[in-house]
Amino acid sequence: MHPTRTRVLVALAAALTIPLVARTPSPSAFQERASPAADRGRGQSQSLVEYDDAVQRASPTGVDFTGEWAPRFHEDEPERVPGPELGDYLGIPINDAARVRAMTWEASIQTLPEWQCRPHSADYIWRGPSPLRIWKDVDPVSRQVTAWHAEWLRSVDRSIYMDGRPHPSPNAPHTWAGFSTGTWDGDVLTIKTTHLKEGYVRRNGLPRSDQATLTEHWMLHGDVLTVAAITTDPVYLTEPFIRTTDYELDLHQWVPPYPCQVVEEVDRKPGIVPHSLPGSYDASSDFANRCGLPVEATRGGAETMYPDFRDKIGFITSKCIAAQR
Amino acid sequence: MRRRTLSCTVGALALACGWFLAQSPVPSANQAPSSPAASAGQGRGQRGQQPPQSPRAIAPRDFTGYWVSVVTEDWRWRMVTPAKGDYDSVPLNAAGRRQADTWDPQRDETAGEACRAYAAPAIMRVPGRIHVTWDDDMTLRIDTEAGTQTRLFRFGARRTEASASAPTWQGDSVAAWELSGRGGGMFGGAAPKPSGGLKVVTTRIRPGYLRKNGVPFGADTLLTEYFNVLGPEDNGDRWLVVTTIVQDPQFLNTRFFTSTHFKKLSDGSTWHPTACRAS
Repeated sequence: MHPTRTRVLVALAAALTIPLVARTPSPSAFQERASPAADRGRGQSQSLVEYDDAVQRASPTGVDFTGEWAPRFHEDEPERVPGPELGDYLGIPINDAARVRAMTWEASIQTLPEWQCRPHSADYIWRGPSPLRIWKDVDPVSRQVTAWHAEWLRSVDRSIYMDGRPHPSPNAPHTWAGFSTGTWDGDVLTIKTTHLKEGYVRRNGLPRSDQATLTEHWMLHGDVLTVAAITTDPVYLTEPFIRTTDYELDLHQWVPPYPCQVVEEVDRKPGIVPHSLPGSYDASSDFANRCGLPVEATRGGAETMYPDFRDKIGFITSKCIAAQR
Repeated sequence: MRRRTLSCTVGALALACGWFLAQSPVPSANQAPSSPAASAGQGRGQRGQQPPQSPRAIAPRDFTGYWVSVVTEDWRWRMVTPAKGDYDSVPLNAAGRRQADTWDPQRDETAGEACRAYAAPAIMRVPGRIHVTWDDDMTLRIDTEAGTQTRLFRFGARRTEASASAPTWQGDSVAAWELSGRGGGMFGGAAPKPSGGLKVVTTRIRPGYLRKNGVPFGADTLLTEYFNVLGPEDNGDRWLVVTTIVQDPQFLNTRFFTSTHFKKLSDGSTWHPTACRAS
């Protein structure tokens, strides 16, 4: 082949190959960073030499949730702000074990020194009465987001790791925030949380076990953040329990400090834990009676979540109004 | 010399073309830069001579199928008819409260206004199944079991003929796929691509109720909704989440936010449409 023709063909081949290589999608602009553990094992360091800008721009980096978020209590405001009523388990897929525990619960347990500074857990806090701050950790070299952080008024800092690290051993300590890792699905951030301490699904004694796991989906629509939180609990729930909650961006809002201090709220003998014995507490029907709802409905359970439950209870007009609270 | 110059020129031009191609976005089945949705005021950074693809063809997620609402929130206001005067959680103004306090379901039933609580700002909150289908390549359709209502989400420009007609319970809905990023930038960032969500803006809604017990919305209500399909979860569940923002200068103090979730059903065997009820 003529040398000139060869050089032209080589140039054309190179030109066609470059875009094909550059346009190959990849989860990371730093190819070696796909396995940090492997990097450590090989003793390699990160280097800008490995960075590929075209790959970086095509990577699924999602959206930025950073900001100060104000809760909007346009759903379940009476439950979320003043607090739920005793015996209101409507629409929650609890089992009998959860029901029994809830019906032995006394609100005054919150006055125990051990309970006074207890924060809401990662699964409940979205529904709590609190502003929210979200910020991010950025790798100084790659400038990729390595973690998200969410903090509310009375909560610990929730860290959501984005660097692909595994969840710890099942025997690792459980915390209020649990251990969370995130992945992108388009612009939706999906978070898996394990290692939660025992908590509650409603602030009226409905328990959530430390075996529960949480899946969250964060969705940003303009200045509105919607979070779907799905709790799965093999101990107290018969089906996954989903709630979707909305926050509005408010750049003038600040999450205030909350230096909780334990005090003696009630003079009681050491070792006394407020409770009711199973079967001895009938105030749990008060809510049903006052609101004109069937007691069966207020006891909750998966059946009460679905529209067909209305066929069972018939068309009812509630008697509850805010003025009666 | 001439031959070397020629080969160098060809090589340089070829490399330049290669670099230019490398800057264009990665094509995928979910992406159509010259889509009608993009051309409806959102298209930027578009290149290529491809014919426009329909919104249906570029749908980033499958929204179709049967879905059932899972009522884990606002149970007292959704699964039963709330009491007259119970407008907890709704940012009603004084005029709205006065209007709500006049609620008379018997009057609505007699006047043929039983569907007031099934209008667009409220219908996704009414417990029941919904059936999502493509009416045509440009129109996503939602049929509701509760109240037997039909919503039509039209991609692209608003229908001019509809604007001249009387307001309806479901109003005029304009849809667009949400886009990820704005493209451009100092180093020519990637072109925007569908992020997975659907935005729907609805106007010209016949005045009705946000809740069954007469909590009102007015004639100038603007309804903005965002639809996201989530999952599959670890147990196989798929969810449809609808974020609803109601703006009503007549009866609301602020924007009214709710988000409603539906679980995907395998089929329509439990589909059972029912008529509107005023109480």
